[in-house]
Formats: sequence, structure tokens, C-alpha cells
Amino acid sequence: MSNKRKKFDKLLQTITYVSSSIGVLILSLIVIFVIKNGVGLINWDLVTNDYHAQFYNGGIEEVTTFSNTPRPASLDDEDIYSDKWGIAVRDGLDREGKPIVEVTYVAEDSPLYLMYDKNNIDNLDFKIEVENVISSIKFENKPSALSLYGAENMINDLNAENQFREIVFSSLGGGIRGSLITTLYTIGLTLIIALPIGIFTAIYLNEFAKKNRFTRIIRSMIEMLTGVPSIIFGLMGLAVFVPLTTKYTPADGANLISGSLTLAVILLPIIIRSTEESLKVIPDDFRFASLALGANNSQTTFKVVLPSALPGILTATLLAIGRVIGESAALIFAIGTTIKDDISIFGKSTTLAVHIWSLLTDEPANIELASTISIIILIIVLILNISVKLLSKKYLKRA
Amino acid sequence: MKKNKNWIQNIMRSFHINSKKEIVDFFVRLIFMISTIISASFIVIIVAFIAREGIKPFVTDNDGLGAVNLFKFLSGRVWLTGTTFQSNLYSVGFIIINTIYVALLSLLIAMPIGVLTALFIAKIAPKKLSSIMRTVIELLAAIPSIVYGLFGAGVILPFVYNFAKTLGIQSPGGNSVLATVIVLSLMILPTITALSEVAIRSVGKDIEHGSLALGATKTQTHFKVILTSAKSGIFSSAILGIGRALGEATAVSLVAGNSQNGPSFGIFQTTSTLTSTMLQGLKETIGIDYDIRFSVGIVLMIVILITNMILNYVKKKVGNVNVK
Repeated sequence: MSNKRKKFDKLLQTITYVSSSIGVLILSLIVIFVIKNGVGLINWDLVTNDYHAQFYNGGIEEVTTFSNTPRPASLDDEDIYSDKWGIAVRDGLDREGKPIVEVTYVAEDSPLYLMYDKNNIDNLDFKIEVENVISSIKFENKPSALSLYGAENMINDLNAENQFREIVFSSLGGGIRGSLITTLYTIGLTLIIALPIGIFTAIYLNEFAKKNRFTRIIRSMIEMLTGVPSIIFGLMGLAVFVPLTTKYTPADGANLISGSLTLAVILLPIIIRSTEESLKVIPDDFRFASLALGANNSQTTFKVVLPSALPGILTATLLAIGRVIGESAALIFAIGTTIKDDISIFGKSTTLAVHIWSLLTDEPANIELASTISIIILIIVLILNISVKLLSKKYLKRA
Repeated sequence: MKKNKNWIQNIMRSFHINSKKEIVDFFVRLIFMISTIISASFIVIIVAFIAREGIKPFVTDNDGLGAVNLFKFLSGRVWLTGTTFQSNLYSVGFIIINTIYVALLSLLIAMPIGVLTALFIAKIAPKKLSSIMRTVIELLAAIPSIVYGLFGAGVILPFVYNFAKTLGIQSPGGNSVLATVIVLSLMILPTITALSEVAIRSVGKDIEHGSLALGATKTQTHFKVILTSAKSGIFSSAILGIGRALGEATAVSLVAGNSQNGPSFGIFQTTSTLTSTMLQGLKETIGIDYDIRFSVGIVLMIVILITNMILNYVKKKVGNVNVK
């Protein structure tokens, strides 16, 4: 072997090694980026909070007795406590990265519990709570204390007075509860629609259909669906399912049902293929034995073939869930991009993936919250992938 | 009533149904068949309905604006001349060119990386490493496109922006052809790798051994024998990859910059693809601005179809000259 040859080989090898490390590099970059930006916002409140903040205006009658609670030991140095009003606040950032003043503690004997809802006198549950965000305190005879000037300034202003006109406060907002519930609804609805049709089709193609031209055409028509880009499915949903659902349901415009129907069409080829694969590995002996015992075709299908195909159907379901969670382009059209907190299957709302899209197309883009949602999506997708792998491993061993 | 029953019996007889068991069997079969026909009909529904909506702007007068000129639509260099809802001067000519341009560029980047990764996984790496690498590729394939979009917006846009700045070019927030190409090549890399790997692994051992026995080095064998033998399969992976690149929507729309005219060939220019154009500024659900998206959808489907046909033709030509 010549020296030149050796050198050339080494060069080619190096290029190969470098190329194959790029995939690993990309994966780690994506994971690092998403975690670095998103981990700060991850907590249980994000999942349970509404997206749209609720604003309240609290007024108060003449205050006669003030709070006697001393500063609780549980408060941090950052918390600024008013022993007169029995409330602790601190400077924080909301989920869009803007500065806010948030309530961290309200003493039991705080006079602020005497506040009433200025917008709705009959609201008896009205009170200021921990995690509420104070945007301003308005006084009768001096300028308002705005959250802009920080927590310390606000407490100083409040301490100097025995009375205020109103406190404007709100829930934190920016939570993803609505989108999460929508995603779950969408997964459920889509599976209810797609699984029976997909499984029946797979059974028909594998068990009943004759091997003729008609079957081949049907098969290739279903196969063609896999090559259609998802945005085209979205247009189809917009042109077919949105008018259909607005006509026959109370919905007006894109809704969860139209979105689920669209997703069901996307999932059909996946479910059909995966189910068919598991039907194919069932030995014909099973079928013949069942038929020989006097069962007819449909009995054989439901009692013998289907139970053996269960792992394949489960795999299909997991793959389908993964696809629903990640799908964005089709859903932007078929389900809409409106982020909602009250979810109805006839109403507008949006899934987690489209929520990310809305956050990123906003001006300015909210990378942090988008990354946090991505972490959630990635974890779910990872779990689903691992389950599919384990399932098929176990299943292949048995077959 | 009696007549009615006879009628049912006649049908039953003509389908050779005699017992209750067979009635059930018949209906089960019927349900299965209906499901199958539903599944198969969706491709027709997609094409029919998108065509129905998409042709509207060309054949109706669009609420007094006049029909869109098909030739100008396909050849123009500005997306919309005039204001929305008051003009019918839409065109996608430059967008078609942009779409194909970025898709080909991303294929050009992803192809060598993907094929070499596949070669590494299939032939070079020790068993443990190759199974790890395979998992990495599978995970990359499983990441939803919106997360690639987020990665593009959060990492690649600033990178491109700074890169342009060091070259003394002002890039609008990094939105550019380069950013789009990078994001797209990341997204099609797992597709290409996975399919090429299958193709490389299916190359017969005897060919490999023959080459080694003739005195070729391992590297020579890998590049000159195995890759050329797997050519046809590798080409298939390219076809699938470019299909994905052409149809990708959300991630592209976040990094392309949605230019309104073009075509843009410079790598720091903003661009727009057929998919990103469909996604931008959807406000009304009636009128020309809504219908025209379906027309763009038709164009996208035709572009994908033609690209596939050309590549399949090339594949046939290339695949025939095989190392046997």
C-alpha cells in the first residue's frame, strides 16, 4: 500500500467520523438549548395556570385596625414586608420576562382581606392571594405606586398611608393549562376517530381483501397519504372539516373537532401500516385452527387475530400520540392559533405545539416559555419512543 | 311489510347469506370494507377540495377584483402588488424558485453528512456505538418540526446574524436563505441517514469481501464499492428528504423572513417558500386572500410531484449503472 493511498484513506475516514458526529452534536445542541432556556420556568404552576391574566380592582372601606403580625421568618431577604398592612411582595419576572411585583405572603389579620371587588360587589370570594401580581396601588391624594418603580417603593408608599383608593392586581397568567387540556382532548378525539377506521382498514386489507387490482389501487391510495406534507392536510381541514363542523355543530370557525378529524386523516396511514405489520406476523395456523373449529371469518378476526395484533395496535397508538403532540402546520389551519383557557370541543383553542408557534410569531418572540413547552413535548415524545422500542423488542422476540 | 321482508331475503340470498351468523359476518365485512374505502378516499378528497378552492381565484371575478391571471401568477416576482383585498395581482413565480433553491441547497448539505453517517453506523462503528448512533438518529427524527423551528429562531438566527455582521453585512435578525437552509438540512438529515443506512446494510457481503480480496483497503471498499452499490437506495433517501424539505412549513416560516419579492439567491437575503407564504397573515376565511392560499397549495403539490418524478427518472438512469 502506497503512502499516498494511506493518507487519502485517513482523510476519508476523518471526514466520515466528523460527519457522523454532527448528528450527535445537533441533538445535544437542541437539548442543551431547550433546557437552558426553558428550565427556569418549569414548575407545577405553569401547568395549572391560565394563559390570560385575570385583572381585579380591589377597593377598601375605612380601615380601623391594622395588622399586628410581625415579619414571618419564612420570608427571604428579597421579600419586602409591610407589618402595617400584613403583606409581603417582591420583584420578579413574568413568563414573558417583564418585571412585575408579586405577592409572596399575606398575613391572616391583614386589613387587605377587607377589600371588595369594585367591578362586582356581589363577589364574596374576592381576595388578594399569594402569587397575585400587583400592577398599581392608587391613592386619593398622591400619585399611584406603580409596579414599574419596584416592590420597595410600593410598600413604602403603602406604609405611609392609612387608606387607598384601589389596588389593581391580577393572576400571573402565561400558563399553559388551556393548551395542555386542548392537546389531551385532541389526542382523545383523534384516536377515537382514527383507530377504528385504521384498524378496520388494516384488517380488511390483510384478512378479507382479494389480491387483485382493486386492492392494489386502494393500497397505493392510502400509501400516497404519507407523502402529502402536513400543511396540505391543514388546507384540507380548512376546506372540508371546518365547514362541515360549523354546519352540524354549534362551532363557528376552526374547532377541536375539525382539528381532530384532520389529524385522524394524517394518522390513518401510520395506524394502518403498523397494524398490518402486526397482522402479518400472526401465523396462518391460528386462523386455520379457528376456522377448522367452525368459527366464521369475523369470529376468527375478532377472537383470534385481533388479540394477537394488540401489541401492533398499541405501537400504532403510541406513534399516533407522538404525531398529534408534535403536529403544528396542519393544526394552525385546522384548529386555529387562539390560545384559550376555557376549553370546549366546539370552540377555538390550540395545542401545545401551535402554542409554541404563536409564542414565536409574537413580537417579541417568547423563547423562554416556548422552550419550556418544548421540554414538555420532548419528554413526552422521548417516553413514547422508548415505549415503542421496548414494545416492538418484546413483541419481536415472541413472534 | 311482507314484500319488504322478501326483498331483504332476496338480497341475503344473492350474497349467500343463510344463517344469523352469516348476517353478522356480512355486516362486519361491510363495515371493514366501508372503513377501507373511507381511508382510501381521503387522497381524492384532499386533491378535489384543494383544487376546488384553489381554482376559484382564476375563474371567478373575486368580488369585483377580476380573475387572477394564471400566467402572471406563475411567473411574477412580487407576491402581492397593491393592498390586500383590493388587488388581484398575486404571483408565486419567485416563491417557486425560492422553495426549490433552499430545498436543493439543504439537500446538498444534508446528503453527504447523512450518507457518511449511515456508512459509519452500518459498516465502521463497533456494535455498541452504532446502536447508540442509531438511537440518536431516531430521536432526531422524532423531534417535532416546531422544536426545530424554536431551535432555528433561538440559535441559528443569532448565529447567522452575527456571522453576517462579521462579514460586514446587515442581515435582518438573521432571517435569511442561510438560516432556512441550515434548519431544513437539520430536519432532513435523520430521514436521509436512516434510509441510506438500510440501503448500505442491504449491500451483499460477497461484494464487500470480493473487493477486500482484490487488495482494496477497507476505506476504498466502503467508498468505491459499498456506496456505489447502495446508490439506488441512497437516491431514494434523497427523494424522501427533498420531499420533506419542500413541504416543511412551521420551522421554515420562523426563519425565512417572508420576503415579499424575489427570487432571493444571496445567502443573507430574506426568502419565502410556498409553505411559509401559506402560513403568513391568515386573517379572513373568505375572499381572495384566503382562496389564494389554496392555489399556493396546489402549486406546492405540483412542485413536489414534478420534483419526485424528475428524481425518480434520474434514479432509474443512475441506478442502472451499478457495480455488479
